[in-house]
Amino acid sequence: MSVRFPTACLCVLLLAGAAAAGLLGVLESAHPRVAAEAEAPWLPPAGVVRPLFLGYHALAADLFWFRTVQYFGGHRQTDRKYPHLYRLVDLTTSLDPQFVDAYQLGGLFLSLGRAYPEAAAIYRKGIEHNPDRWELPYDLGRMYFLDLGDIPAALEWFERANALPGHGHYVPRLVARLRARVGLIEAALEMWERMLETTDNEYVRKMAEEEIRKLRARQRGAPATAAPSPRAGGGGPK
Amino acid sequence: MKTVAIAFNTFREAIRDRILYSLLVFALAMIGGSVVLSKLSVGGEVRIIKDLGLAAIGLVGILIAVFIGVGLVYKEIERRTLYTIITKPIRRADFILGKFLGLTLTLAVNVAIMGAGLVLIASAMEGRLTWELLLPVGLTFVKLMVVTAIAVLFSTFSTPTLSAIFTLALVVVGSLANDLKLFAATFGGPLLQGVVAALYLVLPNLTTLDVGGAVVHGRPVPAAVATLAGAYGLAYAAALLAGAVWIFQYRDFK
Repeated sequence: MSVRFPTACLCVLLLAGAAAAGLLGVLESAHPRVAAEAEAPWLPPAGVVRPLFLGYHALAADLFWFRTVQYFGGHRQTDRKYPHLYRLVDLTTSLDPQFVDAYQLGGLFLSLGRAYPEAAAIYRKGIEHNPDRWELPYDLGRMYFLDLGDIPAALEWFERANALPGHGHYVPRLVARLRARVGLIEAALEMWERMLETTDNEYVRKMAEEEIRKLRARQRGAPATAAPSPRAGGGGPK
Repeated sequence: MKTVAIAFNTFREAIRDRILYSLLVFALAMIGGSVVLSKLSVGGEVRIIKDLGLAAIGLVGILIAVFIGVGLVYKEIERRTLYTIITKPIRRADFILGKFLGLTLTLAVNVAIMGAGLVLIASAMEGRLTWELLLPVGLTFVKLMVVTAIAVLFSTFSTPTLSAIFTLALVVVGSLANDLKLFAATFGGPLLQGVVAALYLVLPNLTTLDVGGAVVHGRPVPAAVATLAGAYGLAYAAALLAGAVWIFQYRDFK
């Protein structure tokens, strides 16, 4: 009895494919560290990555940004620890220093992971490379205000954002309210509400909604003038 | 007129090449796939589509220029059709220029298709016509003309395999020209710096023709910079073609 050649090829293909998939499953369950190490990548310096991409630096930045988003999203849903996040954001922004979204969202991700000095470093790097973009000093001011409760530093960065062309219509109002040092919960609410209004990103929208809900609950149970407690100082522009 | 006839003949021959369609389909799939890929990102979705699209046009264009370009002259020698051509009253320069223009026309059609695909997708995502992408696409086409000229130059005296290796090597060096200069300035002594400075002038600087990053970030590209970059590319391609004609003129086909 002879087996026809295409049938034999198909059989080998299916059997070998199934065996490969099975072996991969066994390998991953027997050696979970392999998956864990792949998840925590070795990141080469930007100076090494740039030549490898033969001038397509922006494309390299996009690829590392994908990796950053997947890394943050994966840990956000599990242990909420991000030991490699700063290096990923730093590499992405070093490959393309004009990638404003990466500074903004990378800084936000880092501040959500309570890595405030790293987040501030990313925002400052973004401001240095994009001195005409008001969004970055604004975001840094927001972090000082909402997360660190450092009102003087927040005010200084908001003022810097306010001095740049194209700033949001709400920035002068925030500056004025912070200068008056009253209604700080309202100011915080306003910041998240502006973020909700201006973002076209579903993920950021959900996050802003969650923060607004928390602040409103706080507003109902606390005096309206309660401010975030100061935890750091001297973070203003140098 | 003879140059034009050879160019159209080369174009007809190139569009029959299956590798051309494989690469074109790959590029269009890459541009279309960028929409799906951008959904994986948080922030910068349109930017990713533009970056990936421009990279696809550049990379696929380079592959077309190299793999079709390196065989342009060699195939004619191998098939012995060249002997029929050079016995006719056709100058060898016309033959080389015709071959170059034929492949350039093929690349122009391909770049136009890929560029239109990218502009359509980016416009649909952004809700406005993204005309500004035409500038990096146009300068990518000039870059491909330089690569084609390199491939034609090597094709006049070498085998397709060696020509492909040499051309790709020059493309790599040309894409790293600025890094090379920076490296020498940072780490090298006066001798290395002098050698690199000389090489910098002789080797193609393909980075000057890359304005995609600036356009995608919405930064203005001054008209003078774009014009000078385009003129540099055309002048470099012309110099390479002159070299190709010179070598081909003195080549003995006995």
